[in-house]
Amino acid sequence: MALRKTTTTVAVKKTAATAVASYNPFDTAQKQFDRIASLLGLDEPTRELLRNPIREYHFSIPVRMDNSGMQIFRGFRVQHNDARGPCKGGVRFHPLETIDTIRALAMWMTWKCSVVDIPLGGAKGGIICDPHNLSVHEIEQLCRGWVRQIARDVGPFVDVPAPDVMTNPQDMLWMLDEFEKIHGGRYPGFITGKPTTIGGSRGRKEATGYMVILTVREALKELNIKPENTTASIQGFGNVAQHALELYHKIGGTVVCVSSWDPADNKTFCCRKRSGIIFDEIFSITDPWGTIDRKKAQELGYEILPGEAWLEQDVDILIPAAVENQITVETTPKINRRVKLIAEGANGPTTPEADLLLEQRGIFLVPDILCNAGGVTCSYFEQVQGNMNYYWEEKEVFDKLDSKMTAAFHAVREVSVKRKVGMRDAAYLLAIDRVARACKDRGWC
Amino acid sequence: MNEKPVDKLLIDLKERAKELNCLYQVEGIMSEPGLSSTELFTRIVNTIPSGWQYPDVCEAKIAYGKIEVQTESYRSTAWEQHADIVVQDQKVGRISVCYTEERPQSDEGPFLKEERKLIDTIADRLKHRILHENLKAVFDREKRHGESSEGWAIILDLLKRTDPKLLTRIARKMLNQLTWRGLEEAHRILERVSPPPARNGAGEIQDENRPSRVSASQELLSVAREVFEIAGEHLPEADILNFIQKCIKEDRSGFLIKTLENPNSSLAEIAAAIERFRHLLPQGIELSPTRERTFQVSLIQRLLNDDPQFVQVARQFISLNDFSDLLIRIIYPAGSHGRLGGKGAGLFVASQILKKHSEGHEILKDVRIPKTWHITSDGLLSFINYNDLEEIVEHKYKDIGQVRQEYPSIVQVFKNASFPPEMVNGLSMALDDFAEVPLIVRSSSLLEDSWGTSFAGKYKSLFIANQGTKHQRLLALMDAIAEVYASTFGPDPIGYRKERGLIDLHEEMGILIQEVVGTRIGRYYMPTFAGVGFSRNEFQWSRRIRREDGLLRMVPGLGTRAVDRLLDDYPILVSPGQPTLRTNVTVDEKVRYSPRQLDVIDLETGSFETVEVGKLMQEFGYEYPDVHQLVSILQEERLVQPWGIGIDQYRDHLVVTFDGLLSRTQFVEQVSTMLKVLESEYGTPIDIEFAHDGKHLYLLQCRPQSYGALSQPAIIPRDVPKDRIVFSANRYVTNGTVQGITHIVYVDPQEYSRLPEHSDLISVGQAIGRLNQLLPKRQFILMGPGRWGSRGDIRLGVSVSYSDINNTAMLIEIAQKHKEYVPELSFGTHFFQDLVEASIRYLPLYPESWGTFLNESILQESPNWLPELLPEFAHLAETVRVIDLPGTAPGMMLKVLMNGELDEAVAILTPQQTEPEERPVRGGRRMRDSEQTVDEHWRWRLHSVEEIADHMDPARFGVKAMYLFGSTKNATAGPQSDVDLLIHFAGTKVQKHDLLTWLEGWSLCLSHMNYLRTGHKTEGLLNVHLVTDQDIRNRTSYAVKIGAITDPARPIPLGRKIKT
Repeated sequence: MALRKTTTTVAVKKTAATAVASYNPFDTAQKQFDRIASLLGLDEPTRELLRNPIREYHFSIPVRMDNSGMQIFRGFRVQHNDARGPCKGGVRFHPLETIDTIRALAMWMTWKCSVVDIPLGGAKGGIICDPHNLSVHEIEQLCRGWVRQIARDVGPFVDVPAPDVMTNPQDMLWMLDEFEKIHGGRYPGFITGKPTTIGGSRGRKEATGYMVILTVREALKELNIKPENTTASIQGFGNVAQHALELYHKIGGTVVCVSSWDPADNKTFCCRKRSGIIFDEIFSITDPWGTIDRKKAQELGYEILPGEAWLEQDVDILIPAAVENQITVETTPKINRRVKLIAEGANGPTTPEADLLLEQRGIFLVPDILCNAGGVTCSYFEQVQGNMNYYWEEKEVFDKLDSKMTAAFHAVREVSVKRKVGMRDAAYLLAIDRVARACKDRGWC
Repeated sequence: MNEKPVDKLLIDLKERAKELNCLYQVEGIMSEPGLSSTELFTRIVNTIPSGWQYPDVCEAKIAYGKIEVQTESYRSTAWEQHADIVVQDQKVGRISVCYTEERPQSDEGPFLKEERKLIDTIADRLKHRILHENLKAVFDREKRHGESSEGWAIILDLLKRTDPKLLTRIARKMLNQLTWRGLEEAHRILERVSPPPARNGAGEIQDENRPSRVSASQELLSVAREVFEIAGEHLPEADILNFIQKCIKEDRSGFLIKTLENPNSSLAEIAAAIERFRHLLPQGIELSPTRERTFQVSLIQRLLNDDPQFVQVARQFISLNDFSDLLIRIIYPAGSHGRLGGKGAGLFVASQILKKHSEGHEILKDVRIPKTWHITSDGLLSFINYNDLEEIVEHKYKDIGQVRQEYPSIVQVFKNASFPPEMVNGLSMALDDFAEVPLIVRSSSLLEDSWGTSFAGKYKSLFIANQGTKHQRLLALMDAIAEVYASTFGPDPIGYRKERGLIDLHEEMGILIQEVVGTRIGRYYMPTFAGVGFSRNEFQWSRRIRREDGLLRMVPGLGTRAVDRLLDDYPILVSPGQPTLRTNVTVDEKVRYSPRQLDVIDLETGSFETVEVGKLMQEFGYEYPDVHQLVSILQEERLVQPWGIGIDQYRDHLVVTFDGLLSRTQFVEQVSTMLKVLESEYGTPIDIEFAHDGKHLYLLQCRPQSYGALSQPAIIPRDVPKDRIVFSANRYVTNGTVQGITHIVYVDPQEYSRLPEHSDLISVGQAIGRLNQLLPKRQFILMGPGRWGSRGDIRLGVSVSYSDINNTAMLIEIAQKHKEYVPELSFGTHFFQDLVEASIRYLPLYPESWGTFLNESILQESPNWLPELLPEFAHLAETVRVIDLPGTAPGMMLKVLMNGELDEAVAILTPQQTEPEERPVRGGRRMRDSEQTVDEHWRWRLHSVEEIADHMDPARFGVKAMYLFGSTKNATAGPQSDVDLLIHFAGTKVQKHDLLTWLEGWSLCLSHMNYLRTGHKTEGLLNVHLVTDQDIRNRTSYAVKIGAITDPARPIPLGRKIKT
């Protein structure tokens, strides 16, 4: 029965690449590096050193399953570069994990630590597994197994793991426990992302959201605008967005619109209040996973708008703090003329094509690598506190965060002005420059 | 109900209790060993007055032979009654009861008719006792005299004189016994009393067409002596005596068999017979295994169910004693011949199975059955007759619209009617038994008990708080029962019965009154948790879970939320065979998919309510039984099980996870053992309802696993030509049928993996999301590589969220081999619970494995409509293919048949159906599939639209043309579907206003018609879209539907009935 398709029904755009290669995140990361390296004029040995991880570990993890059969899992740890300090990076559990994904993410960690100028290098690790097929007990064995295989090559002064996709604070505790068993001592600085009750740092929950606003504050200074004269619209109302709203309000700004996801009908919607959203009020009608009670919001005088409306608001600042690929070639024209600043609270909310359009419109962009680096900065603080076994009060954490962030922002801004590049490129230029310098100083290249 | 009958009733009840008590005492005295006749009689006369209405003036006397005993003040008065003791047709004694003072007139002088029964019963019992004593005396004498004389001869003589029928029966048994031993003499006697069948020359038995001659029992009686003489020659004396003794004992249960075998005997008679049998037991009744089985089977058939499969299972587990326990809690109308109905019978059998197995499985000892009373199935008819409501029975033959319209008034009529006194009696007793605990009144239909028919949710179940005075509670209970009775005549069950061809069967509905398992917390009452269990898991969320690992759906509070699919909440899913493999693994998932509401009974208002888990926990916290087993505390991205100092109910964020229950208690083992045991004894997969009060697990219901019509194991056809198969699969298949598919969205795994840019991969997900909105709901399936919805690396799995796929009928993940390894599929885990609640089916495909087939010529070479539907995604046409099946192969649709038992699935192209399909279900009965009769909904909608068009005056309204699209056009309209009209309008503002007003009238009218047919209320059925010339030119708005390539709107001719 199958009719052959006629040429009139299908318009096929065949790209040259279709038949050649498939998408590879490491390729993409290397291409990005190459571009920046050229801008920096890095020499060949430095490029060769930084294009690839400095060390990679591939190993097998045998686990006795609940039904008493054995299963062998594949584990990895990729240390991209440790010229600036011990490596830092998460451990991912993912059924489709590939070494190239881990390599790309390890490299991204190196740049991220460098851009905020914390003395750490970049790493990433993972296990190919689907936690949906595993019991809690099996996951514990997997965590311990991963540490057993890599225990000699990680540690508080070598390489510091953290939670990532499908791993959580509990997994970190199992890993820490196994590491300490092997090395016979207490090393709370070995791993980060622990609960505050057992070696975690205060302020971790707030860090990312606060950091977003600290960059906004500094950006506004650059633009010569007083925060109290600005309004903002935020996409998402999860952890990052909530704390961003809180701090932005504290520095005097007015948020008029937030978007939220409604699991009941699987749609996003926006809550708008032109007079300004009050944090305590909206937080009181929000469940722990960021869903605002639509009905109660209406009762409190919020307008309910469609999910895309956050982007079209008549505001000065947009803060995408939800998912990737929100600001695209299609959506950019909908951005209000008034918008002067976009702060990327989420990872990759702007597509490269849209980047160009924003630049043409003269919108100031705080790139994700800088804007949402609050998390990794706080992880660094956790490691530091762990190593000295002394834990700071919340205020101390936030003060240190503020000074780190302010310095980082202005350093990037300076490069951007000096080299006449966008903030995103400036961030990468600065990050890679610092790492390359450290390698050279050590005589590695 | 006014108050008087209830008062009268309570008095009556007290009397019955007194009488019964008296009878039990008498029985007790008689079963005491070693009492002399005088002692026996003395104690009985002293007991008798307590059973009569006025014990203080009541006296009694027993005369037997020379013995005469009486109470102190017994004398002959004007108010006395007597019962003779008759043994062997001879009056041997007499019981007399008298009142020493005058009392008001009743049935027999001052005596009640029940007292007449009581005195007769006592006389009857005495007769048996005396006969027994006589025989015993003979046996004793024999034993004393040793073996010298032939004791049996004396017994025979005695029997011949006293009970010749019994002698005949014993003689026949003895004769049979001897014949089996091969004694020639015995055989000759047997031939004499019952001549052998005629034989032909070859010695073969000829079947004659005429009845064989029946020997008169008289003959047997005359040869009895001969028979025993032969026996005396071949058997030891003691054996013969034992044999006779055994026969006599066994013969005592004869009355029971007579009652049971007589189809006319009522439940009351059966209950009395069983009660009597039970009281005879201590005096020695011998039951041969065959007789015992006869009893069991007839009781099962009479009381529970006569389905042979059911009987087969039930008889292994139910003893006579169990029945007498059950009968105590059955309420039945006078002369009842009813049964318990499906739920009642199922629960009783299941409880007996568990009881029996608790010996082998210690863990089952703790499983309980909530206290349950039953009203037999003919209670409904008796209720109707009592209130002269017979005409309501004809109601079911009315048009369904009329049924719906009249239903509310039937409910009122039922609620205002009164119950027959014997039922009121029973209910009153039931309430005393229950005390003030909330109750659920559930229907237990006879139609429901045929294995394989499910009336789930068709009849009402009502919760009542059962609080207040006895009188209030009784009224509330009767009100609830009346409402459940009325629900038999509701439009849903009648519609369902009509569809299934069951309408002519008499609907008899039993009622189950069950104590609600639970505890009181503040003003609320509910179980700690409850749920449903299936011995077969139809929703495997991991390849490690097998079907036989079973499935539990659990919620805190009443189980109502676990039974139904929820739109706004999620139950906890557990596979009891693999309790550690959970549906939700990350903290995010566990929080998102945790139950947030629970159903409770509000004891103050007496109503059923839904409350927020969070609020309840905050208010009551630790008062909630076992709360630390149910919830986890969300703490810094961890879910921590509460223990030690435990929960701070005001500050902690509590999430219902059941983690403690599943990992630290024996609940899983208990419920899993229960499912296994029940499944293996039923011989078929089963499903159960359960509840837990924090201390014990209760089984609430058990029945063979019911599949929704579309989740039964499908029959996999073997003779389908290959070009009509789109794909086939043979791993991790569940049961079900997905049909009426018009579109396939196929993401080519090879092409997908070759996409060069990350943004292309994301675009694929976006295109799917757009198609999800464009394509007809639940009429398309999604097929594509890897793990759909996986976060992180999307290279080997299409990046979608649930809202991008929520309109599909099915999600098929293809595990295409990639660089030497087969990716692990997600089994939909990222939105698994959303898929379950929305009934979206999931199937994994392993194209590399043997037996899996993907029809490349259909999937790759059919025209791809993606560029037309979504021009902005045309560049993905190599990767995303949209196949319009009816467009490609006219008249064809796709149907996916899945059979988990065979682990096979196949998707085939079938002609569009005009008639709903018939298919056999369990038990061989053929019935129509209700979910397939969507037919009707679009047909009348289409006719109505044509009617509207016929009456529409194009000139008056400025209408150029009218089109129909959507579900009515596509013949897929359901009961709630609206009708999408597209009107090409070119008139003035006034005309537009007139047109819309005119259509609004139609819309409301159609909506009402739809309500009468289906019960769904809407605010209008027409969904009118106006398009202008300009829209059509620019192909904007809905104008694209006109002349569209796929799924075009259908033009409807206008104004055919307008008179010019």
